[in-house]
Order: sequence, then structure tokens, then C-alpha cells
Amino acid sequence: MSQTEIRQYAQSKGFHPQTLERWLGWDSAARQALFRLVVDLKVGENHLRDLMDWLEEIALREQSMIEEILAGKPIVDLASDPRLGRADKLKRIKEEIRRRRFPRLAQTEDAIRVRIHELKLRPEIRLTVPFGLEGGRLQVELSASSQDEFKRLIVKLAEAATDNRVREIFALLAGHAVEIRSKASHPVKS
Amino acid sequence: MQLFQPQEVIVERGSEASPIYRNLRTALPGVPFRIVDAFAAESDRTSVSAGTFGAAKRRLVLTRHKGEFLKKCPGSEGQVCCNYFVINFASNCPMDCSYCYLQEYLADNPELKVFSNVGDLLNEGDELLSKHRRFFFRIGTGEITDSLALDPYIGFAREVVPFFADQPNVLLELKTKSDCVDGLLGLDPKDRVVVSWSMNPQRVIDLDEHETASLSERLVAARRCQNAGYRLGFHFDPIVEYPNWEVDYEEMLNQIFSSVDWRKIAWLSMGVLRATPSLKRIIRDRFPRTQLLTGEQVRCPDGKLRYFQPLRVEMYRRMLGWIRRAAPTVKVYLCMESKEVWEQVFGFAPSCEKELGNQMVPSF
Repeated sequence: MSQTEIRQYAQSKGFHPQTLERWLGWDSAARQALFRLVVDLKVGENHLRDLMDWLEEIALREQSMIEEILAGKPIVDLASDPRLGRADKLKRIKEEIRRRRFPRLAQTEDAIRVRIHELKLRPEIRLTVPFGLEGGRLQVELSASSQDEFKRLIVKLAEAATDNRVREIFALLAGHAVEIRSKASHPVKS
Repeated sequence: MQLFQPQEVIVERGSEASPIYRNLRTALPGVPFRIVDAFAAESDRTSVSAGTFGAAKRRLVLTRHKGEFLKKCPGSEGQVCCNYFVINFASNCPMDCSYCYLQEYLADNPELKVFSNVGDLLNEGDELLSKHRRFFFRIGTGEITDSLALDPYIGFAREVVPFFADQPNVLLELKTKSDCVDGLLGLDPKDRVVVSWSMNPQRVIDLDEHETASLSERLVAARRCQNAGYRLGFHFDPIVEYPNWEVDYEEMLNQIFSSVDWRKIAWLSMGVLRATPSLKRIIRDRFPRTQLLTGEQVRCPDGKLRYFQPLRVEMYRRMLGWIRRAAPTVKVYLCMESKEVWEQVFGFAPSCEKELGNQMVPSF
């Protein structure tokens, strides 16, 4: 792929000239590797900018080449998975690159997610954490269609509040060292 | 630390009578001076580029400041503020840190300027301080420049320190990454002046604090100031996270506390590396090889990128632990952080900026 092809593609998609110039500023192999991904998955400009940021930063930090990152097995497997549609492939590939760019954040998010899962709450009780874990707060959402259901949910939530895993979630949000479990383990009551 | 040697000094007509002009003439005998009627900034016509900002630091402009010198520190939206005032006696800085926010803040006005009308500055200070004697003020000069890096050439400290030293309701903070303290040593601060250093391990200085004094030079300067009767401050800001950062930062703190008497320290502050997305683009252009932007920084509610909260809280807590081990009661605060982060680090958050500002006032 020549610079002209990339230029023509970016112009046809209305990408900002700054984005295009940045892309063209990459080494030929990196430029082409990204071009293949962008064309195959019809990547929009906002996603493209995120990918460029993350790829450049991973390459700089790990002293690796962007084309090597994109040729890594996890990316290639996702890109060639026939079960995934184009949008899902983009979503999964982007998440894979984000996880490599933010490994400890992803690990902490996973550890919190595992603990929330282990609480085995009913679907009407939703526990989430903010994007990037900023704010350090656990968000709780309840939805009930009657007073009785509401009471039952509150009881269930009160039980969960005393669970050791909830203590660990808050410890993780506050930056305390907690054993990071990546898979669900047996429930432990405090 | 390397001497600052501008390629040229441009003097706006009317500034020749100021003491700053005389000091510059004496300190820079080999540098060409050019008197102009009005300084037309080249950057009025071109926005900052990788070359413009760096080039602007190599030419010094002496001009009158047309606006107010004294301003409330703007802080950062939604973050706990320490109720601080700033005096802008100069604009931009001869040093060139990769992460410097002035690259964005002064992008359209990057000239290295020093303001000649110091008398107006002192009049403003006098008006504020004498009108509000019941209030205690903390005023700093290091918001959009380094407080001392230009001092050997402009002699600003000896023009203003005697005035502030005589005021009963102020602490003047001179914040620097230089070791340019000679101009301070013959003055009597009368307990009203804090000289403070922005501190980082030598590795960070080597990689990202270009043209600044080394860690050991800063420590020697701090000790000299302490011996001359100045209170000291240290700002661990920006704290940079990298593999084994803990080893370097703990060692740096050990060096600080073995160099100076912590009981003479007025305050310490901590803040992690932060950048707006726009500053990030500028850093990427000007310093493409810096590793600063490869940390795990996420966008915070005030729009700035910081290390994700659990990570930076852990960093602050570790720093605080090393500080407390050596200096159990020294005042420590966080710069531009939310109440949630304060609570996670200290176990409390100041209820308002006045409370934090009051906590920062030392006993006399």
C-alpha cells in the first residue's frame, strides 16, 4: 500500500488532515499493517485515533514495532475468527490492544469484575465501577417492580455488603494490594 | 546547571529605566540588546510548533506588564484547592521540561518575557496585603515561569524579597528547578519567604527535565537557603511512574531528609504527572522519544490524564509513608486531586480551600 492509497482512503472517509499526517509519519510497515486493519474493519476516525495512540505508546514502552503488535496471535486470531462480525472484531481487537496498553488497569478491572460475579447477585442488582476506575466509587443500581421485590433486593444487597469480596472491591478501588484473581473462586464470607 | 545565554534581548522602549534592565545589562555583557517601540510577537501569526516553542526560550523580551500581576491560582476544576495566589513577574521559562504545561498554556504566546514594571507589582502587593491584614496570604511566583532560573540575570529576588519580608500577613514562595539562589543569600527573609524545589529522581531529571539543575545541585541550593534563614518547600510534582520508580523516589526522599532539617520545611506537596489531551499531542511532537506518555493514564473528570486512581493512590500512599518515616509532622498536601483521592491517601479531605489554606500557614 502506497502513501497515495492511504491518503485517498483517509480523504474518502473524511479523516482529519492531522490524523492522516500522523499516520503517514509512521514507518512503512507500521503504516501498512494499520491500513489493512482499518480497511478490513472499516475503522472510524475516533477508533483510529485511539488505536494510533495505544499502538504508538505500546511500541515506545515495549521497544517493539507497531506491525509486530498487530501481527501478534491474539489480534490475528480475532481478525480471522469467522464467528465474529466486523463490528465485534473491531470491538474485541480494540479491547485486546487497550488491555496491552493498560495492563494493570485491565487486571484491576478484571479482579473487580470477578468479585462482583462471585457475589451472585440477582440481575435486578447491578454493581459497576466507573470508566478507568476514576472516582473510586462502586455504583449500585437496583430495579424493582414492587415493594416486596424492593425489600428482597435490599436484603440481598445487605448480605452482599458484609461479604469479604465487597471489602476487597473497595480495597482494589483504593489501590490497596489485594490478591488479583482472574477466575471466579469459591465464595468467602467475612 | 548550564548558564542561560539568550541569543538576544529585546527591550520594549520605556523599560530601560527599570532595575531589571540594568541587571540584565550587567549580567549579559556579550548578548546583543535591541530596543524596539513595541514588541510584536511572531507567535501572533503562527501557532506553536515543535520548533517555535523551543526557539522562543532562546530570546528574552523585557516589556511592561499591562494587566494585573497578582491573581488567584486557578487550580483545576473540581479538585481540592489550597487557596494560593500567584504573581506573574515573567512568562515562560528558560528550562525545557518535557511535561511542562506551559507548552500548551503559552502556545500562542511563547516568548520568554520578563516584566520591567516591578514597582507596579509591589504596589499591587502592598494594596492587597495592607487592605486585608486579618487574612494570611500565600503567594507564589512560579506559576508561568520558574521563580529563580532567571534571577542571576534579572535580579528579581532582591527587588521583591525585602518588601515581602516586611509584611506581617504573607508567605512568599519562590518555586524552582534551578540552583540559582546566590541572589537570595544576602537578604533577610524574616521568616516570610519559602524557597521551594520541584523534585524528581535524577533519572527523571536526565530524561525529562532538560536544562534544569541536577538533584544534588538542588539539594545543595536548598541547604544554602536553609542556612540563610529561609523556610523550604519541596514539591514532588510530577511524580512519574516507571518500573522500579519506588527505589528512586525513596532514595531521593532519603537524600532530601539527610540534606536539610525537615523541621524547617514549610510544606511538601505531591502530584502525579498530568496532561490534557492537547498537551499530550504537543509533548508527542516536541519529545517523541519520551516515555512519559506510556504510563497507564486515563482521562479524569477535569479533562486531564492521570495514572488511574488505584495506581496513583498507591503511589501517593507510598510516598507519604517514606515522608512520614523521616518527617513525622511535616505538612503534606496533594496538588490538583479530588476529595476521593485525598480521603484514600490521608483518610480525610479538607472541607474547603480555606481550611487547606489555613493548614498551610506555618506557626511563627
